[in-house]
Amino acid sequence: MSDLRDKCAIVGVGKTKQGKMPGVSSLMLSVEAFKRAIDDAGLKKGDIDGLLTMPGTSSPEASLNYLRVGEALGIDPKFTGSMTMGGGTAGALVQMAVMAIEAGHATTVACVFGDAAKTGGSRFNRASGWGDSWGIWGMYGAAANSAIAASRHMALYGTTSRQLGEVAVACRRHASMNPDAVMRDPITIEDHQNSRWIVEPFHLLDCCLISDGGVCIIVTSKERAKDMAKPVVTISGMGQAYTTRNMEREDWWYVPHQKEALGRAFKMAGMAPKDIDVAQLYDNFTMSVLLWLEHAGFCGVGEAGSFVEGGRIQLGGELPVNTAGGNLSESYMEGWLHIVEGVRQMRGECDARQVKGAEVCLVTGRGMTLNCSNAMILRAA
Amino acid sequence: MSYNKPLPELDDVNRPFWEAAHQGRLCLQKCSDCDHVRYPVSHVCPNCLSYDSEWTEVSGKGEVYSYIVFHQKYNAAFEGDLPYNVALIQLDEGPRMISNVTGVANDAVKVGDRVQVTFDRVTDEISIPRFTPAEG
Ligand SMILES: [Zn+2]
Repeated sequence: MSDLRDKCAIVGVGKTKQGKMPGVSSLMLSVEAFKRAIDDAGLKKGDIDGLLTMPGTSSPEASLNYLRVGEALGIDPKFTGSMTMGGGTAGALVQMAVMAIEAGHATTVACVFGDAAKTGGSRFNRASGWGDSWGIWGMYGAAANSAIAASRHMALYGTTSRQLGEVAVACRRHASMNPDAVMRDPITIEDHQNSRWIVEPFHLLDCCLISDGGVCIIVTSKERAKDMAKPVVTISGMGQAYTTRNMEREDWWYVPHQKEALGRAFKMAGMAPKDIDVAQLYDNFTMSVLLWLEHAGFCGVGEAGSFVEGGRIQLGGELPVNTAGGNLSESYMEGWLHIVEGVRQMRGECDARQVKGAEVCLVTGRGMTLNCSNAMILRAA
Repeated sequence: MSYNKPLPELDDVNRPFWEAAHQGRLCLQKCSDCDHVRYPVSHVCPNCLSYDSEWTEVSGKGEVYSYIVFHQKYNAAFEGDLPYNVALIQLDEGPRMISNVTGVANDAVKVGDRVQVTFDRVTDEISIPRFTPAEG
């Protein structure tokens, strides 16, 4: 797959207002994000010949979302479909767009997501476990799986809740510099420690938001990208990896497939962790950032807790992470906004939170408890 | 008072597991072709795809692989139990399962603790396997 290096680019990104918007549907949010993305790219609707979508948790048509969104947009695409991998969807769809474009099935693909999750009352409280549901034992909600990971990481490596708090504090500080973020009031480690328990070892401030919003990302070939409105942001590397096994895989809790996804992305790009200037790491919970840092090789196994101390992942630090505030503080768009922020950092559009001179950004996504993961390396120009 | 929490939905695949549990035995499927002991219950071996297996009783001994404590109400049926723990149990015979550690305070549970299965009779038909602290 290394021949996909630098073949495609992200040329348009669009995001709606984020937060709580009563009366707005997931469809309305998808459409508005699409309009903003084509405007951003300087494209017309007719230039889009591929449409890939992720249904919102509040989208009644579920996996037929591509038909619903396509009809609303009046598009008859050459290539389309919907995918439901939770927080692993955004990256998987952008990567699928690259594959479709390079295989000649489309020229310019819009990847679209909209969800009125906050207004629609989505609680992300499903019990996992096919067959005998884990709900029999009271195990519910997305937090539980990541909490299982955090609890064992703490026991094996001495990782502390205060270290998890460093991630929450960094994301909130970055969100305070992002006028579009939902949660902008700075927090301290003490605020994190004093926030109520959700599922030990997670406090409230270890957990992402639930938000209404829409995001659209437009992908085309590098050649076409040169003629578009905004600076070119090249997809230099990409990789995916999954585990469908939960109980059957001993190291499931550690999300080991993330390391494979990252390895594939680094290999395709011909890069290593030292080449990364800024990272947007999927943060459904604070613990997830620690696991990404270890799997990417920014630090060793069990070392991420101390790695994130001392402001290392804050702006001005060695590796700024989630510079727009992430799922924890910007908005919970299931990782879609991580790609948007990666693009905008590479364009140099981020004003107060711009990482000066940044030329390479790592973006990761993960979804469906601990099952789906992907990584992309974006490059300026 | 009737039990109002989620119960297993019995079918031809999982019925032997729950019938054994109701008799106080933890039984898992052992593949007749590759000897893989599997959990969760499945009609097919995830190792070799064989349909042939036999139910074998395991010791019910294991250790706490990880555990968490619920404070947030996700399902109203568990509200009266808050805070309660959920543990990932590593069985000595290989498989892991989601369960609870009972008979001990939540803050006394630790990763690596030795545990032994116990069966919590919740209805006339169903006993749910949980675990209690054990010596060795
Ligand atoms: Zn087998």
